[in-house]
Amino acid sequence: MAKVEFNNVTKIFDNPEGEVVAVDNANLHVRDKEFLVLVGPSGCGKTTSLRMIAGLEDITDGTIEIGNTVVNDIPPKDRDIAMVFQNYALYPHMDVFGNMAFGLKLRKFPKMEIEKRVQNAAEMLGIRNLLDRKPKQLSGGQRQRVALGRAIVREPKVFLMDEPLSNLDAKLRVQMRTELSKLHDELQTTAVYVTHDQTEAMTMGDRIVVLRDGVIQQVDDPLSLYNEPNNMFVAGFIGSPAMNFLDVRLVKEEGVYYFLDESLERGMTFRIAIPDRVLEMVPNIDEYLGEDVVFGIRPEDLVDSALAQEFDITEDNSFQADVEVVEPMGSEIYLYLKFGENDLIARVEADSDAKVGDRVKLGIDYNKMHMFDAVTEESVF
Amino acid sequence: MPLTLKDIARKAGVAESTVSRALNDKPGVSEEKRKEIIQIARKHNYQPNQLAQGLAKQETHMIALLLSQLENPDYTEIIKNIERSANRAGYQIILCNTDGKPQKEKNYFELLKQNIVDGAIIVGGRLTEKNILNIVLNEEAPIVLLNRLSEEITIPSVLIDKNRGGYLAGQHLVDQGLQEIAAIMGPEDNYQESEKINGFEKALYDNDLTANPRLIKSGPLERGHGYNSFLELMEQGEMPDGFFVSHSLLAAGLTEAIKMGGYHIPGDFPIVCYGDNLISSIINPSLTIISEPLAEAAHQASNKIISLLKGETISQQISVLKPSINVRDSSLPQFKNNKK
Repeated sequence: MAKVEFNNVTKIFDNPEGEVVAVDNANLHVRDKEFLVLVGPSGCGKTTSLRMIAGLEDITDGTIEIGNTVVNDIPPKDRDIAMVFQNYALYPHMDVFGNMAFGLKLRKFPKMEIEKRVQNAAEMLGIRNLLDRKPKQLSGGQRQRVALGRAIVREPKVFLMDEPLSNLDAKLRVQMRTELSKLHDELQTTAVYVTHDQTEAMTMGDRIVVLRDGVIQQVDDPLSLYNEPNNMFVAGFIGSPAMNFLDVRLVKEEGVYYFLDESLERGMTFRIAIPDRVLEMVPNIDEYLGEDVVFGIRPEDLVDSALAQEFDITEDNSFQADVEVVEPMGSEIYLYLKFGENDLIARVEADSDAKVGDRVKLGIDYNKMHMFDAVTEESVF
Repeated sequence: MPLTLKDIARKAGVAESTVSRALNDKPGVSEEKRKEIIQIARKHNYQPNQLAQGLAKQETHMIALLLSQLENPDYTEIIKNIERSANRAGYQIILCNTDGKPQKEKNYFELLKQNIVDGAIIVGGRLTEKNILNIVLNEEAPIVLLNRLSEEITIPSVLIDKNRGGYLAGQHLVDQGLQEIAAIMGPEDNYQESEKINGFEKALYDNDLTANPRLIKSGPLERGHGYNSFLELMEQGEMPDGFFVSHSLLAAGLTEAIKMGGYHIPGDFPIVCYGDNLISSIINPSLTIISEPLAEAAHQASNKIISLLKGETISQQISVLKPSINVRDSSLPQFKNNKK
């Protein structure tokens, strides 16, 4: 059993310019056998968190447990972890077997045990036929597998991976993502994976931790992160293209609540009704009445009204915007739109006729819209 | 007294800052004056004060050389050549003995963190562990490894292919017509030793021979193990055609035992020894040696660290050098008796 537990973990770096809080009072529970992804922009604390698990960074405050043992003072070699970095070392004069085995040899494992572990790992990675090849005879993907193999043969309690795929080309990266996920299912070992790439996070993680400035923003499964982001940062970080945000006011007219943008030129309106079923979930909605709030909608939840089928377009669920750029992606089209002072992106169906310069009507799926507190940036719904 | 910037300024009748600009090829000095200043500097063999320069640039021109076993006979050659290359590039070295202990390594890394040295070359030892990974990943410190492996990340390294050395020894002995070759090795769980024996066995395999496990004697890297191994083989009733011995200390014991038994080298037992050093050089007859390119490895390690310190890209992150064989009396065929 190898769960990993962060209990009020803080990491402070003493720089010449002053103290920098890299991780701020983090509490996190990585479940046994889980594939947990730490994601966030550069400097968010994800790599520091991983290195604290690995023992490469001291912990300023709090405790980290691996499998119920506090590891703060346990050296990395005794933590039963294996690390995989993007910049792995394959030695050119050793064959694949040698490259996978040297760590075990240096740790003085018996010969038979080394043989068994390397053969098993190679089988799992589909590289058994390559064991006597030298690295220069391997493709990029095969080399990456050898690096993974070197970690697998250690049979660690926890795999720690720091952007292991980021030096592969785009096509291979996609392929390796799938292979890594399958491998994890097979290995049944806890894995903590760091990436800045939200697509990688969404496709690989059982759960994802979104970090910003050393603070955990949300820990959730991929779909919950996407559908129910805790705040504007998570909403904007997860999903591509990013969620659209509009500064609006919450008003109530004749018993109906609306998002209203009053700053628009004549002829353009943004007045979107909030259905009762949504309001029922927000008992404190009246606190926001008359206040500035942030309206959020994902590009894929904006519909070209000419093509809308799933719901009726009315004055209460649509608005108009000017098309500035049309980007056909094959299966869909990205429309880059100007709406008042706001820039928006809509991801519409491929048969949309929208052209540059058109003023198009866009429908909003009531079930998909979000509201955020303009001050705290926290999600209201 | 060495000439200072101030002295040159006085002689040239200009300000110190003008002298500095002239010597550093910076604008703001007439061409005529620049030539005059350079001439004065050359005439008096002016040497800029490196400490002062270093302080200004936060550089010390010092490189730490971390050695995992000071008693290793190969290290003299390595130290000498690293120092030579470093000096040539304007760097001095500080020798640090770590005894292969992570805590001692960590203490020496403080020199890097506190900018007392600009970079470090780490020679030998087992796997890279926390302290090295930490200083490379977190401090982005210039580090070069010599004969040390890293599992997780690529660190600029120079390695000597000991497996190749073992292969050369095996091939040479097979070429002399030997088939039953004994191998006197260091500890079985020692990585370097396992590389040598793997190479040796591969050479036999490539010649349709199989290494006989009864003829492989692993034990401590001591003279006594070489001596006793021969006696054990005799007691076992084994009479090998010849010997591959993985270390000069083992060779000293082995040759002594062979001679004590009244046998002749190479007439009865041709020998190839791994390692070219003082000990192997004084054994009689002169030993056929697997020689490691230690000087070249040292130069390459120095060049790598100096490139890192200059901010240059290293074209080859990991360089692997191959040992060579120096055939001497201990395995020359003309000495061999027609024993079998």
